[in-house]
Amino acid sequence: MRRRLALAVVVAIATSLAGCGGAITRDELARSIGTLESTAAEGAFLADDVADDRTKATFVRVHARDLSDVVEHEAEKLRDAQADRPGVAEAKSHAVALADRIGTALGRVQIAPGSERVGRSAGGQLGSLSEQAGKLADGL
Amino acid sequence: MNAALRIALGVIAAIGGFVDIGDLVFNAQAGSLVGTPALWAVPVGVVGIIVFAEMSGRIVAVSRKPNFVLVRERYGRTLSTFTLVASLVLTVLTLSAELAGLGFVLNYFFDVSVGFFVLVAVLGVAAAIYLLPFGAIERLFGYLGLALLVYIAASIKLDPDWGAIGRGFVPEAHGAAVYWYFIVGLIAAALMPYEIYLYSSGAVEEGWDERDMAVNRANAFVGFGLGGLISVGILVASAQVFKPAGISPTTVGSVALIAEQPYAEVGLVLALVGILFAVGGATIDTAFSAAYNLAQHQGWRWGKRFRLLNEPRFTLSLVGFLLAGFAIAQTGVDPVELTEYAVIFSIPVLPLTYLPILLVGNDARVMGDHVNGPLARAMGWAYFALICILAVAAPVLFVWTNGGG
Repeated sequence: MRRRLALAVVVAIATSLAGCGGAITRDELARSIGTLESTAAEGAFLADDVADDRTKATFVRVHARDLSDVVEHEAEKLRDAQADRPGVAEAKSHAVALADRIGTALGRVQIAPGSERVGRSAGGQLGSLSEQAGKLADGL
Repeated sequence: MNAALRIALGVIAAIGGFVDIGDLVFNAQAGSLVGTPALWAVPVGVVGIIVFAEMSGRIVAVSRKPNFVLVRERYGRTLSTFTLVASLVLTVLTLSAELAGLGFVLNYFFDVSVGFFVLVAVLGVAAAIYLLPFGAIERLFGYLGLALLVYIAASIKLDPDWGAIGRGFVPEAHGAAVYWYFIVGLIAAALMPYEIYLYSSGAVEEGWDERDMAVNRANAFVGFGLGGLISVGILVASAQVFKPAGISPTTVGSVALIAEQPYAEVGLVLALVGILFAVGGATIDTAFSAAYNLAQHQGWRWGKRFRLLNEPRFTLSLVGFLLAGFAIAQTGVDPVELTEYAVIFSIPVLPLTYLPILLVGNDARVMGDHVNGPLARAMGWAYFALICILAVAAPVLFVWTNGGG
């Protein structure tokens, strides 16, 4: 029983590792876009709190940087991934562009964590980018 | 007042176990990805840890034997050494994650660098261990960690769907692997082995004897009950704030952001202070647990109740584990991922940790009048069976769901 369980775990790990490299699948792309959607939505929460002057500047700066790192990491993964199928290739390009725009908006919040004006504009932009990412993932 | 101070051991053991750096994010993820249907897993885990903590405290009160002395006596040399090595690997991994987590939290206050604050954290923890008596350490980290009760207040202020919360405490059949991944993880988080190592050794440090049975019960029920309550608060608040927005939290900053929604900056600061002391408590829990286990397994003299400089082997091992944790934390490892791996892969160690407690608790020759009654015996075996099932299910679900993602 123990050997069978160990074998099942090894097979499952090998299968998941086999998924690394090669062309990106629809599921992998959808997961990646989902991360962008989630990060942009969280960035919108953060920016809205800046806009309403109900947060702490050092927290905003550090957390916006953390979220920006998540987006940058996702963008790097997407840029490196191969996309052979036409629908997937287009969605991947769109996702990379979205990641760049989300990263830029988060960068604005990070640079001006005390500016209500920047918070308001970045919050609206991040909310809209999150929606766009959601629609892109749904279309896959 | 005195009664409140005497439950500090249970509070710090529970805070360190339920809401350490990984569990904070794990609870928030459970709330955002599964929502209130995951709630029932929390009381299942809480009752399990109460059963075993109460039993281990009672064993200490009767026999003065903490957990790893039981492991050494009940298992052969090979199995007890295996249990020691496995528990040390997992405890030190968790310790390093907690130190890294402290670096992250301090950086939210001052924005210098995580690496610098990891150094500050390890020096602060070492100073607290050296300078403060055991009881003061428990009270400082345990009670200030209770600032996390802000999540209970937040989940109420956010006007939850009480019907959904009530239904969440009733287990339901569910086909999704991700749902079961979070259920298993939430139960396992409550039963982390180092909670029991600290609790039973702490009972020895506090000199419990047969007159302290009520104190033991109060620590087990109130301390772990509070830990579970905070866990529920984070899960429910996350389900209200993050789930509708489609946010999957990945950092401890995300968890702090939840408390900011209803209470603005005050909520954020309370959450960060609570996280700082809860994670600090988990750092203390894990550092002491590792040193206690090694000393008890080797038969060394151990304990904070003696002067640390008079116990060179115990003290050196405590310093060594802190330095090992610091070295791993300085590699820049993601503390949340590290503790999630630790939770999932600690589960195979759970049966080896809990079996000796159950065997001794059931042994009338050791326990005399304080032997397990029918209820404690039945619940002990039921939870032991559950732990064995978790030990099999956890790694499989972890791989199957890609870590819940």
